[in-house]
Amino acid sequence: MTENMLAMNKKSFLGSVCAALALAAVISSCGDGKTRSTGWEFSRNMYDPIAFNPDQPNENFKNGITAQLPPTGTNPIGFERFEFANSLEEYERAGRELQSPLAVTKENLAKGDALFHTYCAVCHGKEGKGDGPITKERSVTDSRGTRSLETFPPPPSYQQSDAASSSRGGLMSELSDGKIYHTIYYGHNSMGSHASQLSPEERWQVVMYVHELQKK
Amino acid sequence: MRNISSVLGKLAKTMSISLMLLFAVTMSHAQDVKEGQTLFKSKCTTCHSVTKKVVGPALAGMTQRHDEEWLVKWIRNSQAMVAAGDPTAVKLFEENNNLVMTAFTDLSDDQIKNIIAYVEDEEAKAAQAPAGGSAEAGAAQSDDANTFMIVGLIAIVVLAVVIIIVLNRVIRTLEKVIANNQAAIEAAQARNEMITESRFAKFAQAFVKNKKLVGFTVLMLVAFLAVAGWNTLWNVGVHQGYEPVQPIKFSHQIHAGVNQIECQYCHGGAFKSKNASIPSANVCMNCHNTVTASDHYDGELSPEIAKIYRAVDYNPDTREYGNNPKPIQWVRVHNLPDFAYFNHSQHVVVAGVECQTCHGPVETMEEIYQYSPLTMKWCIDCHRTTEVNTDNAYYDQLIEAHEKLKKGEKMTAAMIGGLECGKCHY
Repeated sequence: MTENMLAMNKKSFLGSVCAALALAAVISSCGDGKTRSTGWEFSRNMYDPIAFNPDQPNENFKNGITAQLPPTGTNPIGFERFEFANSLEEYERAGRELQSPLAVTKENLAKGDALFHTYCAVCHGKEGKGDGPITKERSVTDSRGTRSLETFPPPPSYQQSDAASSSRGGLMSELSDGKIYHTIYYGHNSMGSHASQLSPEERWQVVMYVHELQKK
Repeated sequence: MRNISSVLGKLAKTMSISLMLLFAVTMSHAQDVKEGQTLFKSKCTTCHSVTKKVVGPALAGMTQRHDEEWLVKWIRNSQAMVAAGDPTAVKLFEENNNLVMTAFTDLSDDQIKNIIAYVEDEEAKAAQAPAGGSAEAGAAQSDDANTFMIVGLIAIVVLAVVIIIVLNRVIRTLEKVIANNQAAIEAAQARNEMITESRFAKFAQAFVKNKKLVGFTVLMLVAFLAVAGWNTLWNVGVHQGYEPVQPIKFSHQIHAGVNQIECQYCHGGAFKSKNASIPSANVCMNCHNTVTASDHYDGELSPEIAKIYRAVDYNPDTREYGNNPKPIQWVRVHNLPDFAYFNHSQHVVVAGVECQTCHGPVETMEEIYQYSPLTMKWCIDCHRTTEVNTDNAYYDQLIEAHEKLKKGEKMTAAMIGGLECGKCHY
């Protein structure tokens, strides 16, 4: 009888050890480490700024946005106004009158290369041939399954060897400083304006790099 | 006899000739369309689609609107026609907001006709598609929907049957309990053993009697609570793994991963400022004025992309912006407390740190989450081991200042940046 009891105790002892270990393992490995909540926070007010962040809602303004547009007709310090309108005539005029203020240097070209890679190559391709990754057939596999993604209409190539024509006359490989700058500023056809993403100096650096691609 | 055979012979001849002709026609037609397709894809798709308005108008039905000769002239050099004052050309030009169509002087008449043939071919396919295609798609979809609904219905029915059986048993048991209640209470009062006879009670009694086992269990429980408590307290204010629901189901996996759009295309602030910045919706529109993902929504605009259009008050039909934009209220994922100063450009431009070093494999994240803990320890661990890139004008000045000091020259606070506004007014 006592022997029997002992065996029972051993069994239940081992059983509870296993149960406790399993429980600990299960609880500590719960989830994939991602959570919809920020969890506990101590003194949240130390995280939040006293002044408004640009992307915060703001009831002090009629439209409820903190980042307000500057009043019409004002220029921020150091801001260069682009004096050409978004029309074909003005595009042609920019092509005739505008010249890059930057000297062709190694640094400027390197910067232009990097900027082109970041802001242009996704459509225009690394070599300006109009074969960027989003112009090609591609598909994604995610929680909604595998599906193909829409291809972006490919832009014409800059390269001399391709002799592609620009939609506003002439060859892509012969586009002048002002025309390229005008296009970056306003966009054209399927291309949107990249003025908010590139500063005037950066636009000229991109123009300089595009000229390099035109020679190919 | 001869007559009949000659008639038959003639008939056979004409038939074979007409067959040959038909064959030749279809052959030449097929070639036309194929060459037209190649030309169309290389010259036209930048601005045109057959079925929908892109930059230029939808091309379907153009051969009904204009005769072929006129079209050939227009495609070759539309501006020349407008300049010459062709009334149809001027009208078309003005209808399309004076957008200039590329001149294709390098194309021959035949090539242009091939393109037109291709457009007509596509148009015919598209005309069939709404009847056939979408019905097919609809059928496929309703098939999916049907199987889903049938499986769902079966599951609900099975669940309902199970619930009914269980409830029945519960009711029966409860009835028994009520019936036996009186007797049971009496019996329990009379003999306590009645209750202790239940298995669980027996086990509990044995457990309580075994002091070692009780001690061990309590120890395990205390250890577990201690570890859980310790972890919880350490993670107060640490948002690692935070993955909030965003107002638009934006997938970094598609944009940064599959499309290979550079991080800074949208988060350009990482180059220039403290904040990597959330892109304004005009950056979305650089691509999404064209990309509508309608292939996956039966030709309709994707509901998620529609949210961008609502935010910028854009009308995809007229391709015009209204003046009632509403900002997209993204939920901030990475939130450094306001008492800690962090500058993206210092890390990205000066130190050349990859975005992924801190933000993890964003290009694989369907939903964005905080990869790093962003704790002070985490910052310091990296700063302890990161070597400084001294190929930088700042260090040239620093070395220069030290050289001056070595020579015994006097140095004022102003010489080492003491007059910079930000030293006091930050």
